[in-house]
Amino acid sequence: MLVDMRLAVVGKGGAGKSVIAATLARTLARRGHRVLALDSDPLPGLSLSLGADVPAEPPLLAAAERGENNRWRFIHGVGPVRAIQRYATDAPDGVRLLQIGKVTREGMAPVMAATQAFYMTIHGLGRAATFHDWVILGDLPAGPRQTAFDWAPYAERYVLVVEPTWQSMLTARRITRIARAARAEVEMSLVVNKVAGEQDAPRVADFLDLPVAVAVPVDEGVRSAERAGAALLDHAPDSPVVRAVERLADHLEGSSIH
Amino acid sequence: MKIVVAGKGGVGKTTVSGTVARALAQAGHRVLALDADTNPMLGVSLGVGPEQTDLLTAVREGLATGETEHERSTEGFVDRFGTDAPDGIRLVVASRIDQPNPGCTCCGVSAEQLLGELEGTDQIVVGDLEAGIGTVLRLQPGQADVVVVVAQPTAKSLEVARRALEAAPERAPRVIVVANRVRDDEDLATIHAALGENHEYVIVPDEPAIAEADRDGRAAIDVDPDAPGVRALVDLADRLAGIGAPA
Repeated sequence: MLVDMRLAVVGKGGAGKSVIAATLARTLARRGHRVLALDSDPLPGLSLSLGADVPAEPPLLAAAERGENNRWRFIHGVGPVRAIQRYATDAPDGVRLLQIGKVTREGMAPVMAATQAFYMTIHGLGRAATFHDWVILGDLPAGPRQTAFDWAPYAERYVLVVEPTWQSMLTARRITRIARAARAEVEMSLVVNKVAGEQDAPRVADFLDLPVAVAVPVDEGVRSAERAGAALLDHAPDSPVVRAVERLADHLEGSSIH
Repeated sequence: MKIVVAGKGGVGKTTVSGTVARALAQAGHRVLALDADTNPMLGVSLGVGPEQTDLLTAVREGLATGETEHERSTEGFVDRFGTDAPDGIRLVVASRIDQPNPGCTCCGVSAEQLLGELEGTDQIVVGDLEAGIGTVLRLQPGQADVVVVVAQPTAKSLEVARRALEAAPERAPRVIVVANRVRDDEDLATIHAALGENHEYVIVPDEPAIAEADRDGRAAIDVDPDAPGVRALVDLADRLAGIGAPA
């Protein structure tokens, strides 16, 4: 089965993007897909939810340098494909994880090379045949800003993670507008998260004028995993959220077979 | 006095900002609420209403199409990009989501620069910051008198809070930690273990009235001002007003 699944997981802060993205990445990997997880959030998140050990220094720091006119470029011998092959790290279930530089005590300046290398990688990835049959799954930081600044050029489908709250719904609407203004053909899959009542999912769907791909129940297992800083699949494998992500994986596979 | 509220996305920064601002205004203070988040939502927690809150961002985005005129002075900025919120609060949205345009007060001035320019002697400025720690790291002396760091008992939010607490003390004279959504002793122990106990803490219990406010797009203080979680934030406002209160 050839899949062509290029996804960006977006939503308001705290909506559950990283938990959904990480559980989805590992679920798809367990089904036999090759999965590249892209973490463009300068704050910690995806690696904890994946249960991945990551080095203290972002590996991509070594991938870029300043060239003529002080402009950032890849080091000699490295392009988008080799950056992924060389600087992505291993996460559970065979997922490969490429991380942006994380914010330091001195801000983003010390990790600027990693930030630039990440941006060049995702913008160069579109032409690479090497990853044509991989699942590429990006976890974006909170809010609409990275969408506005084209931080998911690989994404053919946005997975909108939305809580049944006004702030979360307004955020999703802003992201949808910005994404579609840039590329009208981008697909949207709506994940309504932390659903507590029967009206929660239809209410979000009506507001955003999108069908519900999957409704994910509110769950103590997630709360407990988040407190422990552990992956949901390891901490609470029987969680109903894990089963909901299985359904999301079904939906995405069904939407992506060519 | 200028108060800024920081923390990971989704920890409750906006609820803390909105409720503290409303409580200060109800106590008789003149309050300017500054929404410095690039995903502005403070209007919702102040009780302005969700669609009205979204309209404020549309005014900001209207700069790109020429529907809104640029504004170069801070006073004009507060006037042009602000709206009236309950209890006499003035709400102003600081950030455009896209297309920052350096050199212009209304589109190129950063949240921390704007905080520096706003007058903090006969009004209280409550600034709801962008998710993360970027604005805190860029704060210069005089831009904020109090940094409120909001955390909840999750590993990710505590890591963000820990970094904010490393940076904040050298940038503002007073730092307060709001331990939010605390259900039990284990939650509180998790927070203390990550951040240490030697901070000025405000404990806010997990609060159904706040969840209801979020769901309905209302201000928590309007849903139930006496609910324990709301009460804890009103107490925080009282504590803040105890220092630097207007004459």
